[in-house]
Amino acid sequence: MKPNRAGLVGLLYAMPALLFVAALVIYPLGQLFYTSLTSTSLLGGGKFIGLGNYEKAFNDSTFWSALGFTLKYTLFITPVLMGGGFLLALLTWQNTRLKQFTRGVIFMPWVIGLATSSLLWYWLFDHRVGPINKILVDLNLIEAPLAWFTDAELGLWAVIISVTWKVIGFGTILFVAAIQSIDGEITEASMIDGASYWQRVRRIILPLSTRSILLTTLISVVGSMVAFDQFYIMTQGGPKTDTFTSVYWMYQNSFIYFKLGYGSALAIILTVIIFIGAATQVALTRPRGTE
Amino acid sequence: MQHVEIENVHKSFGSVEVIKGIDLSVAKGQFCALLGPSGCGKSTLLRMIAGLEAVSSGKVFVNGADVTNTHPAKRQIAMVFQSYALYPHMTVRQNISFSLDVAGRPKPEAAQRTEEVARILQLTDFLDRKPAQLSGGQRQRVAIGRALVRSPEVFLFDEPLSNLDAMLRVQMRFELAKLHEELATTMIYVTHDQIEAMTLASKIVVLDAGTISQVGTPLELYNQPANKFVAGFIGSPQMNFLKGRMETVAGREVRLELAGSGSVAILARGGVEDLKPGELEIGIRPEHIRPCNPGDAEANLSGRVELVEHLGNSTVLYVSTGSGRLVVQRSDDLSIRTGDTIGLAVDASRAHVFGADQRAI
Repeated sequence: MKPNRAGLVGLLYAMPALLFVAALVIYPLGQLFYTSLTSTSLLGGGKFIGLGNYEKAFNDSTFWSALGFTLKYTLFITPVLMGGGFLLALLTWQNTRLKQFTRGVIFMPWVIGLATSSLLWYWLFDHRVGPINKILVDLNLIEAPLAWFTDAELGLWAVIISVTWKVIGFGTILFVAAIQSIDGEITEASMIDGASYWQRVRRIILPLSTRSILLTTLISVVGSMVAFDQFYIMTQGGPKTDTFTSVYWMYQNSFIYFKLGYGSALAIILTVIIFIGAATQVALTRPRGTE
Repeated sequence: MQHVEIENVHKSFGSVEVIKGIDLSVAKGQFCALLGPSGCGKSTLLRMIAGLEAVSSGKVFVNGADVTNTHPAKRQIAMVFQSYALYPHMTVRQNISFSLDVAGRPKPEAAQRTEEVARILQLTDFLDRKPAQLSGGQRQRVAIGRALVRSPEVFLFDEPLSNLDAMLRVQMRFELAKLHEELATTMIYVTHDQIEAMTLASKIVVLDAGTISQVGTPLELYNQPANKFVAGFIGSPQMNFLKGRMETVAGREVRLELAGSGSVAILARGGVEDLKPGELEIGIRPEHIRPCNPGDAEANLSGRVELVEHLGNSTVLYVSTGSGRLVVQRSDDLSIRTGDTIGLAVDASRAHVFGADQRAI
């Protein structure tokens, strides 16, 4: 078949990006996969053991509990981030000075590092000096300060609150952009048609923001599935291994127990799970028909 | 009380006043056009009637009820937007029935009404399509259908044909006129296109910089423009304006000496008794100037033909005279060529005189 000249030119234009992806994604991924087939130790040495690490992971109860906890965290935090982000976007999408300022305030934590914000919230939740416990006690909502990080459920919610504060502004900004891109006359037409505010939100604004919602959900889900910093700093995986996330367990094996080969296998398994999850999500929510 | 009444309505955006105290009434069943150039405030006025824009002061009445502070949905109005504003994720059926659905009307009733409207607008075959799968004209019909299904007291149109090509615009104009004839519902139509206003409306409101310049029937505006703005805005090719100095007044006849040319006697409408000698302006429509020989006694002006446009049904001449360039339009096929020197005879009974304040005299 004769090579398509336009296709070749296109390929040439895409080449820098392809080389970039090949060097920084495909090669390391290949290296990771190879390492996962070995018993490589962080201290050196190791040999090819085939699918041994995968077999081990299959029988590793901590791996499964960490994966379960990661899914639980993702399932809890995603609706909070999406719902909260969308509500904040509905409240602040207009370009008045006050609303622009409010958007800026909501978005500000996004620029702080996750580790920094986790440390900040660690102290805010601290049972001795943290102001959150003090406020709750002062409001008579609790009798005595809570040790948030000695309980898996409380620890999970403390992390969810801290991460929500940190990242909700990102979704809000994407949703604001989506709402602002809806033709103003469409919203006005629905007002004249008699739609109430919530009818407009449900039947006009939400469906016309689907793409942004899908994109933000995808980013949020993937981000939650690879959660590490916040748990490492705030709960240290405890109590016991109750708040170990998949990546935490991967880190623990690779860098604490020096089992780099096994850690790589866990990374590959998580990558495949995230890929399948993301692909399913995209396939299920792809817009059908012509808009 | 009229069907739609606007009382001393003002609208300001910050320190900029865009509507400067407008009073207007539209009778039941009337087709009223709000006509004017871009930025004259016609769309703002329509949006205030719709309730999409709050009035700064004044009152809006629909069917006798003060709706100044009423929500758009409760004003008994429907609006067709310039961009059609169709809901892109809904089918034609869902678009048309949207207002009935959100009002909680029974599904069979909504479906029946939707089908009925679709039949009137010849949209039955497209009911399950989405707006992106329709042509411009079909989209426009869906937008009208969406308005029609609510059986409103008043239809508001905001430049609904401006996104269509010239041929489709003519067709839709005809369809709108027929629709108005069938429904006999009050319609208020915003346009900057004088042809649309003249062909559709029985009452035209010409707006200029936030004020009403003149209200009248199409022919009143054409034949008796109240001021230079209306005279220039209505009619294509545009009316010719010539500066002149008043020489004598005899009865209603005003004789003017044209700058760089001869003189012409115009029959004014009245109020010339107190006219003092000075600069005036005369307006002559292109079809009220007749080419003749330069030496003819009837020739008020003479000049050189700069361009001849043969339009098939008429000929348009651009003539350079001592008083400036004049446009002449004749329905006959003239044998005049570019470069010819011709005389021009003005039909004095059809010419207009404008005073220093630009009002017609």
